Amino acid sequence: MSTLTDLRIAAVGDIHLSTDDRGRYRSKLDGIENRADVFMLAGDLTRHGTLEEGRAVADELRGLPIPVVAVLGNHDYHSDLQYEIASELRDAGVVVLNDDGVVVQCGDKKLGVVGGKGFGGGYAGKCASEFGEREIKNFVSHTRFIAESWKVALKEIVADHRVVLSHYSPIKETLEGEPHEIYPFLGSYLLAEAVDTAGADLILHGHAHKGTEKGMTPGGIRVRNVALPVLGRAYAVYCLDWPEELGIHPA
Amino acid sequence: MEAPQYVAARVQQALAEDGRTHELGIRVDIRGDQLFLRGQVSDAEQRRRLGEVAHEAAPELHVHNEIKVVEATAPGEDEHLD
Repeated sequence: MSTLTDLRIAAVGDIHLSTDDRGRYRSKLDGIENRADVFMLAGDLTRHGTLEEGRAVADELRGLPIPVVAVLGNHDYHSDLQYEIASELRDAGVVVLNDDGVVVQCGDKKLGVVGGKGFGGGYAGKCASEFGEREIKNFVSHTRFIAESWKVALKEIVADHRVVLSHYSPIKETLEGEPHEIYPFLGSYLLAEAVDTAGADLILHGHAHKGTEKGMTPGGIRVRNVALPVLGRAYAVYCLDWPEELGIHPA
Repeated sequence: MEAPQYVAARVQQALAEDGRTHELGIRVDIRGDQLFLRGQVSDAEQRRRLGEVAHEAAPELHVHNEIKVVEATAPGEDEHLD
């Protein structure tokens, strides 16, 4: 008889709060501590990336009874105030990842979370390369730098479970429903390749509102698009478990 | 060894044609000896039956039933990733 160990992860992305939304989202988080051990936000917390919106988001998340880990999304960068918004969130007790990792203690388990905004470029066979104009090279090298950072962070982190939190998508499966023409702006396979190389239990992302919740990397790591419009609910809860005595643990 | 694409097609056909399910639009993916079912149905019993039929159609594979149950009034359910 094997025993199962659960770690419950509540996750959502693309909540896109404005200053008019104060209090509305928080009410949906009532009782979250009974459903989950940790809450993760996959970017696009604001609509326009203003400091006022950032403060509104921070107020919505302040004082939640479970740890909160977030990454920013492209909307949160729109006003060039991403560092200020991250600072507001951190002051409210939120861990904000920026291509690095954190270990969160959840009961007797250590959860390692690695991630950041991510970026685009497209998917294997139909993607941009570091060739030609400087602008294209910059575009691709930005994603490559992020992927490499995640790979290093995943390899270094010591935890019972490892989850990657991103805004952009590492795979195209969870984009299904979006126009194919915009795939290169929704994510990059370089992100999946990095995570497949280093290993993880789960990848969470947002960004693709018309996409699909469930997919997996070529290496078989489960991927979940937790964009609020995709979920259709305040957040999803994913449980990581495995039979301990069989020794099925993440690499 | 049968190519996984043909096994997936056979499972998908079974889900559509088996009298217990008659369910179209369920996606079937195979990675090695793992079979993943994805899609949406309106009740948990139908999801269970789909997993059962898939298992019978490909008994050599481990079936991960990731089909989502969508009920208008439900806030959603936890997903166990085993």
